[in-house]
Amino acid sequence: MLVLHAIQRGTMHGYAIAQTIHLLSDEVLKVEEGSLYPALHRLELDGAISSKWGVSENNRKAKYYTITSKGRKAIASQEKTWSRLSAAVHRVLSR
Amino acid sequence: MRHFILKLVRRRRLERDLEAELRFHEEMASARDNPIRLGNRTRIKDEIRDAWRLQLIDTVWRDATHGIRQLWRNPAFAVAAVLTLALAIGATSAMFAVVERVVLNPLPYPKSDRLIQLDHSFPVLNLRSGIGMTAGLYYQYLDRGRALDGVAIFRTDEMTVTGGGEPERVRVTSATTTLFPVLQVQPAIGRWFTEQEGAAGAPQVALLSHALWMRRYGGDVGMLGRSVALNGVPTEIIGVMPASFAFPDSRIDAWINQQVTRATGFGLPFRFLGIARLRDGATVADARKELNSLIADLSQAYPGDPGVSGNIGNGKLTSSPMTLKEATVGDVERPLWILLASVVVVLLIACANVANLFMVRAEARQREIAVRRALGAGGTGIARLFVAESALLSIAAAFAGVALAWGALRLLVAYGPATLPRIEEIRLDSMTIAFTFVLTLLTTIAFGAIPLTRRAPLSAFLEGGRSTTAGRRRHRARQLLMGAQVALALVLLVSSGLMVRSFQKLRTLDPGFNAASALTFRIGLPNREYPSRAAAVAAHQAIIDRLSALPGVTAVSASSALPLQDGCFGNTVLVEGRVNPTGTIPPGARLCAVAGGYVETMGMRLLRGSSIDRGGVARGELIAIVNQAFADAFFPSRDPIGERVRSNAPPRSTPRPDGAGGLTWDGAPPWLTIVGVVSNTPAQALAEPHPTPMLFMPMSIAGGPDIPPIAMLGPNVATMTYVVRSATLPLVSAKDVRRAIDAVDANLALAQMQSLEEILDHASALMTFTMVLLIIAASLALMLGVIGIYGVVSYIVSQRTAEIGIRLALGAQPQRLTLMIVRQGGVVTLAGIMVGLIAALSGGQLIESLLYDVSPRDPAVFLATTVTLLGIAVLACWLPARRAARLNLTEVLHMD
Repeated sequence: MLVLHAIQRGTMHGYAIAQTIHLLSDEVLKVEEGSLYPALHRLELDGAISSKWGVSENNRKAKYYTITSKGRKAIASQEKTWSRLSAAVHRVLSR
Repeated sequence: MRHFILKLVRRRRLERDLEAELRFHEEMASARDNPIRLGNRTRIKDEIRDAWRLQLIDTVWRDATHGIRQLWRNPAFAVAAVLTLALAIGATSAMFAVVERVVLNPLPYPKSDRLIQLDHSFPVLNLRSGIGMTAGLYYQYLDRGRALDGVAIFRTDEMTVTGGGEPERVRVTSATTTLFPVLQVQPAIGRWFTEQEGAAGAPQVALLSHALWMRRYGGDVGMLGRSVALNGVPTEIIGVMPASFAFPDSRIDAWINQQVTRATGFGLPFRFLGIARLRDGATVADARKELNSLIADLSQAYPGDPGVSGNIGNGKLTSSPMTLKEATVGDVERPLWILLASVVVVLLIACANVANLFMVRAEARQREIAVRRALGAGGTGIARLFVAESALLSIAAAFAGVALAWGALRLLVAYGPATLPRIEEIRLDSMTIAFTFVLTLLTTIAFGAIPLTRRAPLSAFLEGGRSTTAGRRRHRARQLLMGAQVALALVLLVSSGLMVRSFQKLRTLDPGFNAASALTFRIGLPNREYPSRAAAVAAHQAIIDRLSALPGVTAVSASSALPLQDGCFGNTVLVEGRVNPTGTIPPGARLCAVAGGYVETMGMRLLRGSSIDRGGVARGELIAIVNQAFADAFFPSRDPIGERVRSNAPPRSTPRPDGAGGLTWDGAPPWLTIVGVVSNTPAQALAEPHPTPMLFMPMSIAGGPDIPPIAMLGPNVATMTYVVRSATLPLVSAKDVRRAIDAVDANLALAQMQSLEEILDHASALMTFTMVLLIIAASLALMLGVIGIYGVVSYIVSQRTAEIGIRLALGAQPQRLTLMIVRQGGVVTLAGIMVGLIAALSGGQLIESLLYDVSPRDPAVFLATTVTLLGIAVLACWLPARRAARLNLTEVLHMD
């Protein structure tokens, strides 16, 4: 979900995704070592993201990921579920 | 499915891309101060590969389970589709197995396409083949044939084997030592003949067939080196051939060393068959050219040899070699290809039916598909569902089909015509299974693709279920399939109709003898116990007397060969007082030796004169009876009775050694007086375009063990075929026959016990086989075609129910509605029939050679099959149409 959320901001390559997650979470969350790429490939196979080879900012060949409409739907529903869940947790905790 | 294949292809690219991606990450990380590290590379790669694999399995599994669920929900559809396909796939696979073994791969020898049969012909005598070889020709070709890489000659005889069990009649091929180098086959155990064993005077040795070795000697390796007696001649067993070895055919039990010598010169008569291996690069045409020039040279090779001058004359002997494959399967190749084509036609019709079923379902499921699309399913995803369903059906059909083919082949091997070479070896092999697999793949693609070609825009799907008048375009494909089915079915119906007509004509053909209630068998007398013609004749007469005493037996006689059997003696015949112009060859006939009463026992019709009776045989009268064909050929404008004829023998001044045993002969065959004319009987095949001239002589004046073949008297009477006629069925029992013969000599072996009916059946076996299989194919085609027509019309009616309802409500006559629907189906049927008729008329010459006395454009057959098909097709249209016209108005209006 975090990965999808990060990609939602635009087309980016794997390292940029890892960086984005790291930065967005105020450096609290760090994508666990070794889990980013399997997650990306699973998302791609599920059709939530698509990929394309391009040239990076430092002129290297890099694989760029873009979210698909299916991915957007998935994240929307996931976010809904997540916010409902976290709201519920919050309510429980604040009593 | 497509996904699956693409994945496999893409696998390597995926791996390369993954490696590049991870390296990029590492490069990026190494350029930063606070890098986000990649982690364990190997573990990442493994995990990603797992994801790929899971996805793949998951997809296939999901599609398969979905397919099974779909089919389960509609078992009638699934069963109908699987059964239809299984029948067609089974029939096609079984037929392919036959073609593969018999036609494509009939000879189990290395480089068998280089093997040729050496045959000769006398075109001026209208003897186009089957003359064979002499020892002199063998040496001529062996020494000087540059196009040939090895030559062998051989002959096949029946012999009695004694020692190590009951005396048994066996078929023995006696071949020059060069045979096995030509065939390039090694014995399974033991050794092949040595060169010395091919020279005159060497001891006789034998190789056993695998079948005889197992049957008679229980597969005992200890038989090697042991001696048995073949026709009384001690013979050492030196080896056993492999089970697959069947030369010249599968009925041969043993092979012995034929001894030949150059001393016999040209070596008449033509009593051998020849085989050779072509040198690399040489063609059959090269060989023919070279051998003909060698024949022209024979007079130099054998100067003054009367056989050469008599037979070669002015180059009349002609070499007519053909490939061994053609010689072996020439007759059956075409029927088998036609049968394979006909089952493929059945398969096409079955495919059309199943495709129709699929189309109906695809349309019925338009709403489901529309919903899936609306939910975001891609085109490939939907296509996968259809392909998965058709794949499941095809696989199920393939398994059922293979089982059917297995059963069909068992039946075929058991009941098929023995004239099919290698028939006993036909089985489901890997090649056939592979063929079935490819068929299955093709059918899968065919059905899976149909719904895809009919992909319409989403809006059409959504309204599809509610339209009240079906679009014409949507029926186009269905009607095309229906028309094609009708056309294909008609072609098969016409072919099988033509075969049935031929068969009827063949079986009503007068064979010239009475085939009812007569038992036949062959007895061969060993030379050692019966060394002379007189001894053999006495033994045969004693056996005939014993057999005549059996209860229920009305007549017994014997001949050197029955109709439709080999064993007669073919030679040219001279007429007394008729001068044969020098350089020409007198006409030929087949000479048979008979016991008294043969004509009466066989039920042949005596047209004129008298027959040969027992007294005539006993006295050794110099008489003969001839058949009508002989009379027509030799005495076209005269009564042959009273004329004298004799077998033609080469003139010779000095006695010379015979190749076989050093016997000498000096003298001409005697003149025989013709005393009677009988009806023609078929000599080799039932439907002979020209009946063979035949001459029957008393067995007491024919050839015998003490008379060398070169004497040309007639067939050797050591072996005779008996005919035992009973007044009624059942035939006399084999046990009674055996007892009667035991009373004369318990060591005699019986062979080929069969009724005259069976001989007739055997002669038409190939035609029966072709006809029965074509009838099966045509019935299947008709049945499937009718189901197809019925299905299409029913479907169109169901689609138009609302429309019909409206018409009825507006006051349309039900009869006219029925007529309208029948007419629609009828137009398609007629179009199919037209196409089918054109195809059948233009393809007629393909089966012309299989027919007997029936034109491939026989109007009666065409009319009958067309009317039958049209009638059944109209009925198949009318049944659903009538249902439509009887619709209840209120029901229709409530339907949607």
